[in-house]
Amino acid sequence: MRALFKTLFGSARTISAAAAAVVLAGLALHGPAPVLAGAVLPVALLAGAAYLALKG
Amino acid sequence: MPHLGIILATYLGACVEWVEAFTIVLAVALSIGWARAATAAGAALLVLAGMTLTGTALLAYVPDFAWVQGVIAAFLILFGLRWLAKAIARGAGLRPLHDEVAQFNAVRASKGLSDHHAAWLIAFNGTLLEGLEVWLIVVALGVHSHHTLPVAAAAIAALLTVIAVGALLHRPLARVPENALKFIVGGALLAFGSFWLLQALGYAWPLGDGALPALAAFYLLGGLGLVALLRRRAGAAA
Repeated sequence: MRALFKTLFGSARTISAAAAAVVLAGLALHGPAPVLAGAVLPVALLAGAAYLALKG
Repeated sequence: MPHLGIILATYLGACVEWVEAFTIVLAVALSIGWARAATAAGAALLVLAGMTLTGTALLAYVPDFAWVQGVIAAFLILFGLRWLAKAIARGAGLRPLHDEVAQFNAVRASKGLSDHHAAWLIAFNGTLLEGLEVWLIVVALGVHSHHTLPVAAAAIAALLTVIAVGALLHRPLARVPENALKFIVGGALLAFGSFWLLQALGYAWPLGDGALPALAAFYLLGGLGLVALLRRRAGAAA
């Protein structure tokens, strides 16, 4: 069951990194310059990938 | 272009997973014979086929497609992020590369192989777990693009490729550039995931569909930059 959960959702760190990126993009989308959301999400996700690569 | 990208990403991603499943089935087959190991792998593939049909049919009948689009995109982001991060860590030397021979030896050394029933379950579970990731890619990319059939065909083509090469070699497919494939597929899945997620939230991409290759290029070039940066950092720390 644990292996199944990890296969579908990944580790808690992966979920946190992805959620943080989505929240940031959501804030940008509802902020004064919504067009920036298209840049915020990829940059935040790449930063998340760097964090996960470092922390495992 | 998006559809070709979807099919290519599915094929490459499925290749990675089927290679890992093949290693487990091969290790089990040497203990309980090819016929039994093949029935275990076949049973797992049948379960996956059933899940694909059910998942596709259920998602196709959900009335609020934007909601489904968001959930699918979130899965793709989780999946792509994991693959890209893993490939970056391995590329930068922070983690050892995935070793099919070591995986093969680990399965061969497991106690369960002495019991035929337990060995059958190892092959079944191994194929099912590796195949689950393929299932996720097929359902997510297929349903979203309304091209489930060609996407599923790409996954089946990957399976046939791995079976053909594996049957020819009769040993773990250790020379498949798994990390490079994971890197490319991770970047592609993140591109599709982030594109569709923001679209589901009501965002209009300035370049339309043209944003997809731009996103993929951003993740892949950014990932390569991170590999170089982290490798230099690890070298300086050593």
